[in-house]
Amino acid sequence: MNYKNIKDIVESALECTLRHGAENARITYSKGSQTSFSVLGTELDRLHRATSSSMFIQIFTDGKYGEFSTNQLEGKEVDSFIRRSIEITRLIEEDRDRTLPPAGLYFRDDGTRPDLKQYDAKIDTISVEEKKQLAFAPVKEISGTDKRLVYMASEYNDSEDYMFMADTQGFRGEAFQTSFSLSCECAVKGKSDARPEAWWYESSLFYDDLMKEGCGKNALKRALDRMNPKKIKSGKYCTVIEDRVASRIVSPIISAMNGASIHQKNSFLIDKIGEEVFPKNMNLIDRPFEIGTPGARYFDGEGIATSEMDIIRNGRLNTYYISPYYSRKLGMEPTVEGPSVLKFEKSSGMMNDHASENAASMIKSIGKGIFITGFNGGNCNGSTGDFSFGIEGFYFENGEIIHPIKEMNLTGNILTFWKGLKYIGNDYRRERRWHIPSLAFENAEFSGK
Amino acid sequence: MMNFPFDYRRILEKALSKGGDYADIYLEHTIINEISLRDSKVNNAGNHIDHGVGIRVLKGDKTGYAYSETLEYRDLENAAIVAAGIADSAFPSVTLPANVTELKVRNRYPVITEWEDISVSKKMHYLEMLDRLIFDADERVEKVLGRISDSMTEIMFINSLGEFFHDKRPMASVVASCVMNMNGTRETNSSSRSFRAGGEILTESLVREIAAECTGRTASLFGAIRPKGGEMPVVMGAGGSGILLHEAIGHAFEADFNRKNSSIFADKMGKRICMKGINIVDDGTVMHNRGAVNFDDEGVPGQKTYMVTDGILTSYLHDRISAKYYGVNPTGNGRRESFRYMPIPRMRATYMENGTCTEEDLIRDIKYGIYADNFSNGQVQIGAGDFTFYVKSGRLIENGRLTSVIKDINIIGNGPEALASIVGVANNSKLDNGTWTCGKEQYCPVCCGMPSALVSSLTVGGAEHA
Repeated sequence: MNYKNIKDIVESALECTLRHGAENARITYSKGSQTSFSVLGTELDRLHRATSSSMFIQIFTDGKYGEFSTNQLEGKEVDSFIRRSIEITRLIEEDRDRTLPPAGLYFRDDGTRPDLKQYDAKIDTISVEEKKQLAFAPVKEISGTDKRLVYMASEYNDSEDYMFMADTQGFRGEAFQTSFSLSCECAVKGKSDARPEAWWYESSLFYDDLMKEGCGKNALKRALDRMNPKKIKSGKYCTVIEDRVASRIVSPIISAMNGASIHQKNSFLIDKIGEEVFPKNMNLIDRPFEIGTPGARYFDGEGIATSEMDIIRNGRLNTYYISPYYSRKLGMEPTVEGPSVLKFEKSSGMMNDHASENAASMIKSIGKGIFITGFNGGNCNGSTGDFSFGIEGFYFENGEIIHPIKEMNLTGNILTFWKGLKYIGNDYRRERRWHIPSLAFENAEFSGK
Repeated sequence: MMNFPFDYRRILEKALSKGGDYADIYLEHTIINEISLRDSKVNNAGNHIDHGVGIRVLKGDKTGYAYSETLEYRDLENAAIVAAGIADSAFPSVTLPANVTELKVRNRYPVITEWEDISVSKKMHYLEMLDRLIFDADERVEKVLGRISDSMTEIMFINSLGEFFHDKRPMASVVASCVMNMNGTRETNSSSRSFRAGGEILTESLVREIAAECTGRTASLFGAIRPKGGEMPVVMGAGGSGILLHEAIGHAFEADFNRKNSSIFADKMGKRICMKGINIVDDGTVMHNRGAVNFDDEGVPGQKTYMVTDGILTSYLHDRISAKYYGVNPTGNGRRESFRYMPIPRMRATYMENGTCTEEDLIRDIKYGIYADNFSNGQVQIGAGDFTFYVKSGRLIENGRLTSVIKDINIIGNGPEALASIVGVANNSKLDNGTWTCGKEQYCPVCCGMPSALVSSLTVGGAEHA
């Protein structure tokens, strides 16, 4: 990519906003490319190549604010687009809280901070043939291995993204990222009409770190494990939620901490700062400087410097995610617009024992309950924290998986549900932005038969 | 007649140069305008332009796809060469026809007033009215969000069969949500309307309708309970209950899943899948509907497709690839989010036609069950057939009567079993004109509808003690 050219375009556009009368502006230029090879059965089914560029322009003028974007990036077109954008912005009402952030909050790159290692230059050296072969690898692992296999597909995907952000207060920041992934999905069929499906997904910021084996076998095993499911009786059960899907019950907490939700009174965490609303042994932290981890970053979407945050410490809610705009609206100190690398930190005591190592050890320790391996739809009411999710997984007894379950819902309230937290595992997946391990809860409400 | 802004023949020839069977070019220019209200002020406006050319090559069932965001010949040629790579011959196997035929159909979304002729101040007026109406309707209202968005997508399409079409697709949405506070308990809900239409839809009566629905839905949530969870009869109220059709069966009827042998309906064609008298349609011909298409995104005219006729599965939803695979005509369901995506089978407006009884007939004999009529989202597992949808609000049915308001419950069922469990259909079918958007691989505007219908058993999320 020609980064110098991109910076020149942005500087020129920024100058253009001022020339046309804007008081302030921020411009974010994004450029990316993506390649994917999809295999269906044992044949190449799709190849897809995408290259995109776009400019996101935020105008601040006369106490008013507008957001504009275009992928038509020729000089003349950009000029007239910016002129028109400023005209539109001037037509709406004032919102004096919409300004560029205090410059003191910006990330300043003094050259001493380590590379967060988000980019793999190797992406340009991987041949088309190598990518294609990799796309076939998962289905090759399972092709012809089981008569019940009625559908298999796999995909290799890589992408390269660059972002340059600049504003009229002098902030300049850029970020590079690569991503590589390999996935497999399959469906199996026994005597019934049902074709339980399952998938497996591996991803990495670096090509050499991408797990290139096991996708197919894992997907097939999971599909076979789901054959002949049963619905069990409604009631309260202990539950273990697998690391792959446990973020589903963390995300309502993060949404409720967002400044926009707080300001819109659409959060069950309003006025809860400083309160012990979660179990005493729960620590949720944000670590944006974890080298080589997706989501690591030195600044957010407004250029605000990120920092290590203890979001929940000993069950006490310590902070919200508050952008400068909502900090003015709410009269609160700004933090950053949202999470970077979320992690659970173990406290001493019961949750450090062997039982909390991973999902399997939790199942052994708990004995009887429901092991959730997937969520199927559902939602959470942001105002109240009431939730109801469809689930898939297994019923277990005496620490052993008994059978897969079907057509069941997990229902409750986020705050009440988390009060039942029993174990936090160590088995999170490093390739994800949120390092959420397997989790176990008591007294979870399931509805089935 | 067509006036392509580049030499499309050279690009198609390049796309077919490695032996592809078919190629098409999809040129798109989209302008989106948005304006929104927060804290009783219209304080955010936006304008977004997206422009590009998608080039697709088919070789049998296989697809090569790439796109360019510029009309520079070099970029288009590069995209064509990438897409051509799905085939591997040294020579082309298809010759382009000498003449081009322009496809014409009746316009299903004529615009009376272009959105560019609706001033920002007029939109602001309606947003302020929306805000005022919601605040005036209930003193418990604490916050209101309002948004008007409009877009115009202009498409030029040509393929290696010599078929060309030009389409201008408007889309407009008005959305409101509010938060109410009653003695420290907060509830939120929303309402929206969306049409393929021009600025003529922006009227006081539309704004009043949305405001009334938004406040009514939110106010009803105070005091709402959760039913006792488990299996029970569910009466799906007319309109938005069409989400049942979309999730429980619509996706499973999309022919790509069946072609891949991953759908639970893969071997059900021509068989009875629900009771006699039930007709389920996927329709691209409803005037100004969010799911309406003059042509789908691969040049097939929009049409009305009966998926289920008198209880028998009669058609899947096809794009060109699956239609060829099954040896049938494409049904006009090849749709895409934008030029960045290849078309795949997608629903349009999916609904059930009228039955013969009344809604009261459906409720009368139920001892304990629920009535659901306000939904937020849904999902399906195509192979297992398990689907879910989230009930934002509804009512409990006790001894044949609607009683307590219920809220925030997920309903889960199995597609074929749920379809076979529809034991009564009322005569009040209607479409829900909210901002329904389907997220299968790509985002696509859709619509759903249904008459009230009784499903004898679904699994309802709930509390142990209601």
